Amino acid sequence: MKKLFLFLITLGVLALMAWGFYQAIYAAPTEATMGDVQRIFYYHVPHGMLSYLFFSINFVASLLVLAWRRSNPARAQVADAWALAGAEVGVVFCSVVLVTGPIWGRPVWGIWWTWDARLTTTLVLWLIYVSYLLVRRFAAGSQTPALAAVLSVFGALDMPINYLANRLWRTQHPSPVFGGGPDSGIKDPDMLAAFGWNILAWAVWGLAVLAIRIYIQRRQQAIDAASASAALAAD
Amino acid sequence: MNTGHKFLVAAYCCTWAIQLGYLAWMAIKWQQQRSKLPSRTGKSR
Repeated sequence: MKKLFLFLITLGVLALMAWGFYQAIYAAPTEATMGDVQRIFYYHVPHGMLSYLFFSINFVASLLVLAWRRSNPARAQVADAWALAGAEVGVVFCSVVLVTGPIWGRPVWGIWWTWDARLTTTLVLWLIYVSYLLVRRFAAGSQTPALAAVLSVFGALDMPINYLANRLWRTQHPSPVFGGGPDSGIKDPDMLAAFGWNILAWAVWGLAVLAIRIYIQRRQQAIDAASASAALAAD
Repeated sequence: MNTGHKFLVAAYCCTWAIQLGYLAWMAIKWQQQRSKLPSRTGKSR
């Protein structure tokens, strides 16, 4: 029963991804000025928006790690698994943003990269969460989750700056598609539908990946606890 | 193939390479854990 459920979930996610791809490549009309390259939008923007979601999950879970680390260590471990998974999946999504952005920028702007506020804060955001993962990977001792949680709180501060960057300052990066004033928004209904389907598809994909990563981390915690107990019993 | 199309293909391929690469890394980690898992007699989660 469980296997059938997992199979159906996998099938549903893959069907949604295929539908999103179809919408982006075939159903959405070609944009008048940029042509085909504008279709990168349907992957680039959802990844940017969803990286905020996963970094926010990391932020909330990190606060819970700090709140529970003494009063309820078992719960803190669960929160820690969520925090790690949120950071990892967020970095994956943010990496896609940082790779597809320059690929889009080169034919449209004529340059791969520029140090404007939006691009720079995105790179800083990515670097903060990569450093979070490096701390988790290489720092030794039982305080590592708490140290990483503190770093994550600082990482979260970059999110609103990144979000507001092309609202507050003049940037090479285009002005916001949503929430950027009266002229913002997607006017063409087919483009809007393609965008909506891709947001949904990548959100479902990301949440499925997040769930798998949390499960793996919980297993790792069980393995670590068992090996610690075995080491104590051997003494 | 026009230039814009090449960039589009590159962007989509990179996206899938990153996403599937991460999935593959998790599959390897999952596989490595199988030999180390404690017996499921108690609460392992």
